[in-house]
Amino acid sequence: MRPKRLVSRLSGTSLLLVVGLLVLGSLGGNVALAKSKKPKPLPTGNPTTQTTLTEAGSSLLYPYLEVLAPQVTAAYPHLTLSPAAGGSGLGIADAIGSLTSLGGSDAYLSAADALANPGLMNVPIAISAQAVDYNVTGAPPYLKFTGNVLAEIYQGKITNWDAPQLASLNRGVTLPNLAIVPVRRVDSSGDTFIFTSFLTATNKAWANGPSEGTTVTWPAVSNELTAEGNPGMITVCAGTPGCIAYIGVSVENQAIEGGLKEGLLKNKSGKFVRPIESTITAAVAAGAGATPANLTQSLIYEKGAKSYPIVNFEYLIVQKKQKTKAIAEAIRTFFSWAIKSSGGATPDNLAAVDFVALPTAAIPKVDKAIQKITG
Amino acid sequence: MITSQGGAGKSAGPAGPQAGRAVRDRDLTRRDRLARLGFLFAALVPSGMLLFLAAEMIREAIPAFTFSGWGFFTGEIFSFGQLYALTLSHHNGIVAPHGATYGALPFMVGTLASSVVALAIAVPVSVGAVLALTERVPYRLQSGLSVFLEVLAGIPSVAYGLWGILFFGPFMAAHVYPVLASVLGFIPVFRAPVGFGEGLLTASLVLAVMIVPIIAATTRELIRTVPILAKEGALALGMTPYETVKVVTLPYVRRGILAASLLGWARALGETMAVLMISGNLLDRLPVNIYGSFSTLAASIVDLLDSALTDATGMAVHALAALGCVLLVITIATNLVGRLIIRRASGGVPLPIGRGI
Amino acid sequence: MIRQLRDLGFWALCLIALLLVIFPSVSIVVSLVEQAWPVPGWHLFTAGTPDDGLQNAILGTLVLCGGILVVTAPVGIAGGIYLAEFSHLRQGSWIRLGYETLAGIPSIVVGFVGYVVLDIELHWGFSLLAGILALSAIVLPYVVKTTEVALLQVPSALRDGAVALGLSRLTALRRAVLPPAIPAIISGLVVAVAIGVGETAPLLYTIGFSDQNPSLQPFQHSMGYLTYVVFYWISLPSKADHELGGAAGLILIGMLLLLIALGRLVSRWSARYSASMLS
Repeated sequence: MRPKRLVSRLSGTSLLLVVGLLVLGSLGGNVALAKSKKPKPLPTGNPTTQTTLTEAGSSLLYPYLEVLAPQVTAAYPHLTLSPAAGGSGLGIADAIGSLTSLGGSDAYLSAADALANPGLMNVPIAISAQAVDYNVTGAPPYLKFTGNVLAEIYQGKITNWDAPQLASLNRGVTLPNLAIVPVRRVDSSGDTFIFTSFLTATNKAWANGPSEGTTVTWPAVSNELTAEGNPGMITVCAGTPGCIAYIGVSVENQAIEGGLKEGLLKNKSGKFVRPIESTITAAVAAGAGATPANLTQSLIYEKGAKSYPIVNFEYLIVQKKQKTKAIAEAIRTFFSWAIKSSGGATPDNLAAVDFVALPTAAIPKVDKAIQKITG
Repeated sequence: MITSQGGAGKSAGPAGPQAGRAVRDRDLTRRDRLARLGFLFAALVPSGMLLFLAAEMIREAIPAFTFSGWGFFTGEIFSFGQLYALTLSHHNGIVAPHGATYGALPFMVGTLASSVVALAIAVPVSVGAVLALTERVPYRLQSGLSVFLEVLAGIPSVAYGLWGILFFGPFMAAHVYPVLASVLGFIPVFRAPVGFGEGLLTASLVLAVMIVPIIAATTRELIRTVPILAKEGALALGMTPYETVKVVTLPYVRRGILAASLLGWARALGETMAVLMISGNLLDRLPVNIYGSFSTLAASIVDLLDSALTDATGMAVHALAALGCVLLVITIATNLVGRLIIRRASGGVPLPIGRGI
Repeated sequence: MIRQLRDLGFWALCLIALLLVIFPSVSIVVSLVEQAWPVPGWHLFTAGTPDDGLQNAILGTLVLCGGILVVTAPVGIAGGIYLAEFSHLRQGSWIRLGYETLAGIPSIVVGFVGYVVLDIELHWGFSLLAGILALSAIVLPYVVKTTEVALLQVPSALRDGAVALGLSRLTALRRAVLPPAIPAIISGLVVAVAIGVGETAPLLYTIGFSDQNPSLQPFQHSMGYLTYVVFYWISLPSKADHELGGAAGLILIGMLLLLIALGRLVSRWSARYSASMLS
C-alpha cells in the first residue's frame, strides 16, 4: 500500500514539474527565432541626477509619448519619460492624486476639478482628432455621418444600417439590413469627452440628456457594446459586424489595418471631411486666436469649410508645485522640448500618430504656463 | 491576558485535537512571555488588517449610503453625473455632481446571477469528479489526476480571463450558445442574440471552473472520512456502488459539501479580474439576456475607480466604496456561515481558505 | 437490470464531471502556448515592454515575490507559532476566524483601500510599498495557516520531551519543535508566494504600471509586473500585442506550476524527514 502511494505521489509531482518546465521551455525553444528589434537607446547620464517622469492616462496620447520617450532621453540623457496608458480619466485622477508626474488627457480639467485643485494645470503638447469608424461588410469606406445622426444612433433611435437617415446622407450607396452596434468606452475617456461634446454641439436631445463628459450616462441601446481604451475599441469593433465606434486618430492606422472603415463627418459649414492634417489644421486655425491663458479650450465643431469637427488639444496635466527643484526642472525641460518643432514636435513624430503641431499662436502661452512649474 | 484553563489544554487546530499543549503561565520564563506577546501580536495582524479594511470601506461608503438611501439597493442606474458641469445636486444633506445617481442593482444582480450559475454548475461537477476520482479511478492514477485540481487552484485570475477571451468565450458563442438558444429559446432569458462570447454565461462558466478546486478539495477530504465499514456493509447488502454513494457516502458528507459550496460561492462573488476581462463591462444597466454583457460589484470598482477620482465632490469614490461595502458584507457573511456549518459538522475536516489551499 | 443501468449511468456522469475538471486546466495551458508560440524566446527576457519584451514585468514580479516574503514570512510564521504553540482553544478559534475571513474577502477591496488610504491619503503615489502591503494582506493568511498546520503535525512527544528536560518554552520551540516543521513551513511560503504573484486587482491602482525596469524606490514610483501585461496587452488590437500578453500569461503559469511543484517536493521531503525523526 505505502510504496504504491509514494509512486502515485511521485507521478503527480513529476507531472507538475514536467508541465511547468515544458511551458517555460516552449518559450526558450524559440530562441533561434529571436530577431533583434529596434535598439533601445541607453541612458548615459549620471544616475545620481537621473529623473524619471512617470505618465499615465489617455490611450490616444500614449502612442505619441511612446515615440517621444526614447528621443527625450537621447536629447537629455538624465531625463527618462515612462508613459503608460489607462484612459484620460486615469490621467486626470493620477495628476490630482500626484500618483504620476504627468497625467495624459484628451480632455481639459473640468471646471469643478480646476476649482478643487488650483495647483493643477493643463499643458497642451499637440493637437489630435477623432475618427468615426465602422465595420459593415460590403459597405464602402467614407460613409457620411452628421453629429445629429450619430447622436440618434447612440440614443437607439437609428438602429439599422439601411435606415432612411443614413440612406439620405449616402445616396448611391446600398447599405445592408444589419443592426447597428454602437460601441462606447467603458473607462473614463477623453475620447468620450470630445465625442459627446460633438454630439452635444449638434443634437438638442443629446445636449439636454447625456451631455458631455469623460463618462456620461449613455442612453440604453439594445445591442450596444463597450470597450476599454482606444485599442479596445478597435478590437471590439473589428470583431463585431455592424459596429460603429469613435477612435482617436493616433491609432487610426491600426483600425484601418484591423478592417474598419473611416467615416466622413459633416462640419459646421455643411461639408463632409476626413480627419487628415489639412482639415485638423484648419480647425485649429479657426480656433487658435481664442486660446485662453489657462489653455482650456474646446476645438469641437469649429467653423470653416475645411475644418474637421472633432479636434482637440492633447493635454498633460501637471502639478505646478513639484516635490523638488530637480523634478520641476525636468518637467519644464520636457515640456519646452516637446512643444518645439526643433525638439519633440517634429513633423515625423507627429505624422507617426496623425497629430498636428500646436498652433504658433499658442506656443508662447504654453511657454508662459511652463514657467509656473516650480520646485 | 492568557489565563490557565483546565480544559483548554487541547488546541483543536486544523489537524484535529492535539494533546499536551497546556501553556501554563508558571511554566514560562520571562523571555517566553515576551516572545509569546510578540507571537500574539503577529497572530492578530490578519484580524487587524480585516478590521482596518472593513472600517475604511465603511467610512468611505457612508456618504454614498446617506445620499442614495434605499435607492442604492433598488436603483437601476449607476452614474457619476455630469462631472464637466459646475451644477451640483443636493440630497439628504450631501452634495454630488448634477445628475449623479448611484443605483447598485445591476451590479448586485450581475454578481448574484453569475455566482449562483457558477455554483449550480460547480457543485455537481466537483462532487461527481471527486466520486469518480476516489471510487472509480485506479489508485495509481489518483494523485496524478488530483494534480489538475491543484493546477486549477493555482492558475491566476488573469490567466482564466485570458483563456476566456482567447478560446473559451469565442468557442462557446460559436458552437454552444446558438444550440442553447434554439433548445431553451422558449425561456426568455435564453433567447438570442448570443453575443460574441463576453457576457454573463461565459463569466459564470469560467467562475465555475475557478471554484471547483475549493469544493472538490473539501469533498475529497470528506469522502476519505466516510467509515469504510459502512460502505462495505452497503455493498455486502447487495447495493450497487451508486446506491452505496447515495445511501452512505453522500448523506455523510452532505453538510461539509454545503459548507464548501458556501466558500466557493464567496469566492465567485468576489472574483474580480477574470470577470472584468470577460464580462463585457456593461456598467449602467441590467443584462439583456443570459449571454449579454454585464458587470459585477467587484469588476465595476476596477472599471470605475479612475473616473471616480475626477469627481471633485468626492462622491464617486464614496459610491464605489459603497459597492465594495455591499460586496464585503456578502462575502464575509457567506464565509462565516460556511465555517460555522463545518464546525458543527462531524468529521473535523478543515475547510480550505481563499483559493482552495 | 435497471439498477445496474442506473449505476452505469451515474458513474458515466461522474467520469464526465472528472473530464470537465481536467479539460480546462489542459485547455488553458494549450491556448496560452498557442498564443505565445510566435513570440521569440530570449528577446522576452532582454527587452522591456516598449520593445515587445517582458524584462521589466518579469523583474517587477520577482521584486514582488521578494517583497511579499519579507513582509509575510516573519509576521505569518510568528502568528502561526502563536496559534499552534501558545493559544487556547477559544482564543485560537477567534484568531483563526480572523485570518480565514481575511483570506475570503475580495482582492479588489484590498486594492481599493490600499489605493485610497496609502496612495492618495498618505501621498505615497503609485508605490511599490503600497503594492507589497496590499499583496501581503492577501497572502498572509496562507502563511499563518500553513505554519500552524506544520507545527501541529510535529509530534507532541518532541515538545513535551524538550520541556521535560527543563528547556524553556522558547528554547524548546527553537531546538525541538521548529526544525522538523521548517520544510512544511517553507513549502507553505512557496505556495503563498505563488498565489501572491498571480494577483492583479490589489496592484492595479496601488502600484500602477511602468515600462521601465523596477527602480526599487518604495514611494512615488510605479512598477511593471506580469499579471498587468496579461490583463492589458490582450485588450490591445494588434496580434503582436496579444502574443506578448499570451507570453506573459505563459511565463506566469510556468512560474506558478514550478512553485507548486517545488512546494510539493519540499513537503514530501518534510514528510520523510519527520518520519525519520520519529524512528
